Amino acid sequence: MSGNLLHRLPILRRSDGIGGALPALTLITLFFVVPVVALLLRSVTDPVPGLQNYATLFGDGTYARVFFNTFLVATVVTAVTVIVAFPVAWMLAIMPPALGSIVFGIIILSMWTNLLTRTYAWMVLLQRTGVINRTLMDIGLISEPLPLINNLTGVTIGMVYIMLPFMILPLVGTLRAIDPMTLRAAALCGASPFDAFRRILLPLSLPGIAAGGLMVFVMSLGYFVTPTLLGGTSNMMLAAMIAQMIQSLLNWGLGSAAAFILLLVTMALYALQLRLVGAKRMTGGI
Amino acid sequence: MKLILTGILAGLLAATAARADEMVFTSWGGTTQEAQTKSWAAPFEASSGIKVLQDGPTDYGKLKAMVEGGSVAWDVVDVEMDFAIKAAKDGLLEPIDFNVVPKADLDPRFTTDHAVGSFYYSFVLAWNKGAVSGEPTGWADMFDLTKFPGKRTFYKWSAPGVIEIALLADGVPADKLYPLDLDRAFKKLDTIKSEIVWWDSGAQSQQLIASGEAAFGQLWNGRVFALQQDGADVGASWKQNMTAADVLVIPKGSKNKASAMKFLATATSAKSQAMFAEASGYAPINTAAKAEMPADVVKSLPDAYVDGQIDLDMNYWAENRDKIAERWYAWQAK
Repeated sequence: MSGNLLHRLPILRRSDGIGGALPALTLITLFFVVPVVALLLRSVTDPVPGLQNYATLFGDGTYARVFFNTFLVATVVTAVTVIVAFPVAWMLAIMPPALGSIVFGIIILSMWTNLLTRTYAWMVLLQRTGVINRTLMDIGLISEPLPLINNLTGVTIGMVYIMLPFMILPLVGTLRAIDPMTLRAAALCGASPFDAFRRILLPLSLPGIAAGGLMVFVMSLGYFVTPTLLGGTSNMMLAAMIAQMIQSLLNWGLGSAAAFILLLVTMALYALQLRLVGAKRMTGGI
Repeated sequence: MKLILTGILAGLLAATAARADEMVFTSWGGTTQEAQTKSWAAPFEASSGIKVLQDGPTDYGKLKAMVEGGSVAWDVVDVEMDFAIKAAKDGLLEPIDFNVVPKADLDPRFTTDHAVGSFYYSFVLAWNKGAVSGEPTGWADMFDLTKFPGKRTFYKWSAPGVIEIALLADGVPADKLYPLDLDRAFKKLDTIKSEIVWWDSGAQSQQLIASGEAAFGQLWNGRVFALQQDGADVGASWKQNMTAADVLVIPKGSKNKASAMKFLATATSAKSQAMFAEASGYAPINTAAKAEMPADVVKSLPDAYVDGQIDLDMNYWAENRDKIAERWYAWQAK
């Protein structure tokens, strides 16, 4: 299984041999491939051999809803992230390099702060008695607290914030590679700024959007902490459901089946990404 | 293969396994575990010379992984009683050696072959006085959105308590609660579902009520006690308070079983139980403990509110735990 993948990754084929990669491969085999196989086996053997765990997952409305929620959240988060990230990436691409590296530093720095801390900070901001609602009520803009937490809004805000760097970084790479002359040429030919954006900039930046978007989407699918803390129980996503099956219900067979499905979906999306964007851009093209 | 996975999992978990003169105590963290450390572990270390390492929070999935993988890193674990009954049936626990752990004074309600009481507590109705106009007087008020608008908070996990509260609020007499009418309970809960904020840890329940993020809720009495001790403007109603217990268990295959038994003897002794109760506001499971406690503390314990008190049926829950949990989480996700 791992050998197959190896030959399809061009970056590895380019290297002289896999000798140097052996420690890492051993680690991955021991702590990823073996557990995944064990997971798959458990999903079809626990509590009794058969496909009943998968039948339960697909046959029950509750689980279907959790699957739907997971994709809904990932889609919304990806879309909002693209919209928010694009102006930032564009600004970074055309900024003087010195200033650009400072902004870059700030974006990277946010990734170094603990995820849990950042999510709790959002709780403090978003809750009914939180900073945002208090301020808005104090200045008289609203009379009732806005429902910003324990729902899709809270999950989206928290996750977009965390995903932004993963969208901005590939996008900047793509945008920098676009020759600014193409935009000037468009303007000279009479294109309005909006036309230039829609017909020149956007199409040229699509590979970056696709690369970042798929990355954000795939990461969102498996997210646990942020949806759990900022969402309500009706926004439950797959990762939280799996944790519940493993920790609370002690139904490891069902949890394994759900985890395996999540893994399959993620791998399918990754394969799609490789095909669409090309492995080169994914692995080292930025 | 199943064994390999659990072996790897448990191996990782046991990476910090205790030495012979050490043992590991696992509980739920927060003010409760602090009180347990101070009241039980400290005197035990002094008298036995065995060092007690603290771990947590309790995680039933981890416990099962350790036992199945044969690599148990926890020696004494604080768990909910209904889980303990179920886990004993599933073969996850060591039987208690009552030659080491004196049984005579232990409250029989919270003692089984595989578990001794840790402490017992009541679910009470608590509210933020600044966020609620008027005084809620019973569980039914938590379902009255016109008289008491605002967010209400309940325990998130499938466990004894919320279902019973819904049924009582719907008019089921206290002595007719079991077997639980789940359809009726969920129908009642549906009427306030959009106003429910769930708490999943004691600390969170305190934060929600103290900040007024939730106007009122179903809390563990010890957590309300701690809030009031800190001077928070929080009221509490003990009407139809519901008792449940945490118990101490030894996971099957514990490498420090002998030390663990001795620890249980200390933890359940009248003196340790009295110290813990004083620090936490939870009730002692040793019937001789009250004699060792100041009178005003005794007055704040669930024991002082036995009138109308309801004992949540742990055996019923142990029996139906999985079935109820499945419906509970399905309903929550809706």
